[in-house]
Amino acid sequence: MHALTDNALMLKVKSGDLDKLGLLYERHKKRLFGFFYNMNRSASVSEDLVQNVFVRMLKYRHTFTGEGSFLAWMFRTARNVNHDYYRKHKNENNQSELSSIEYKLEDSENFNSDMDKDDDIAILNRAMQKLPHEKREILMLSKYKEIKFSEIGEILGCSEGAAKVKAHRALKDLREIYLQMEIR
Amino acid sequence: MEKETFESKVIDFLSDRMNEAEIKEFEKFLNDHSEYQVQFDALSRTWRGVDGIEVPEPTENMDVRFFEMLQSEIEKEKNAKDDSESWFSKILEGLWKPQVAYSILLLTIGLTAGYLMNADTSSVPMKTTIVGNSETEEVREQLVLTLLDQPSANKRLQGISEANKISKVDETVIKALLKTLNNDPNVNVRLAAIASLTNYLDNPIVREGLVQSIIKQDSPIVQVTLANLMVALQEKKSVEPFRTLMRTKELNESVKEKLETSIKSII
Repeated sequence: MHALTDNALMLKVKSGDLDKLGLLYERHKKRLFGFFYNMNRSASVSEDLVQNVFVRMLKYRHTFTGEGSFLAWMFRTARNVNHDYYRKHKNENNQSELSSIEYKLEDSENFNSDMDKDDDIAILNRAMQKLPHEKREILMLSKYKEIKFSEIGEILGCSEGAAKVKAHRALKDLREIYLQMEIR
Repeated sequence: MEKETFESKVIDFLSDRMNEAEIKEFEKFLNDHSEYQVQFDALSRTWRGVDGIEVPEPTENMDVRFFEMLQSEIEKEKNAKDDSESWFSKILEGLWKPQVAYSILLLTIGLTAGYLMNADTSSVPMKTTIVGNSETEEVREQLVLTLLDQPSANKRLQGISEANKISKVDETVIKALLKTLNNDPNVNVRLAAIASLTNYLDNPIVREGLVQSIIKQDSPIVQVTLANLMVALQEKKSVEPFRTLMRTKELNESVKEKLETSIKSII
């Protein structure tokens, strides 16, 4: 159990106790990295983006009111950072996706002995990359059960119910892409 | 169950956002509806597959960069604070330069000398005020006398009002006020004169003048006012003038009764 909640820590950062951002970083760096990695399949880019999120949280710390959850605020910032990155590197995305899948395949070979499972994961990885950006995003956010769907709705600018339906449809689309790829 | 409700519940179930009761209810629904169970199973496999996608660990480099960035931000913040503090301390430092110190010293000496000089002369304006006050009183007495001689009743009332402002009245003013009480054709002016004279009841001339004025009054209200005043003063000298007044044929009956009562209360 954390001695201080995320919200309490961020409020301390807001009031000038910048050291406390280090604690928030330790708590959430892996989760944020995973979010970005699942979005762009590049470890180095994801590390950069995690850094950008924390830089932005420092810059806009005065906007944190402590009323909503810190996680929702952090992922809203992460989403904006990710969008900015995509806008700037639109043309490079296809190439990076390919190299990331290769990197992932190498990882799978190293860590999984079950070849069938490796194949499934590799195909699912590729299917994920074919999924539209916003659908990938909602699937990743849905994975973090600490964030309420009402907050995901806030992050995406829709209602809680709409966010759930979007998540369901993204999952369904992913399955369809996966099945098509498996047949080939 | 509506399609969208089912879709929402699938996501709630898979993402572990349901409580036990909701889980039981949803599982029962799937058991009772095989077509939904098939849809759910297919999506459940894909969901688990997404979970299976491994994410590498971030490198130590990410930590190093983050903490470097944080440290630099903390220092920036500290420097900004120091800058604002040093702005103040620079001013303080500036004050200790010899030229500024001499200027402050001279200014202090000047202010002290000025204060002391003012303190010495402070008695002069007080004397002036006293002199001024007595001069003002004299002027005011002249004004009262002038105003009481005016043909306008308002001016004479203003004269009486000015007389009330004088702290120590001169005998001339008292005589003028008594004259007004005895001779002024306006009742209001005479009543105002009585009110003004009550300020000097310690003065025997005033008391005597008020008693002698009784028989000279023809206005019932002035007569009653004087009767009340004499009762209040318990002025025995007033009994005879009141009796004289009562013998007058023109005297108002109510006033007569009032005078009788007054005489009784004085005796």
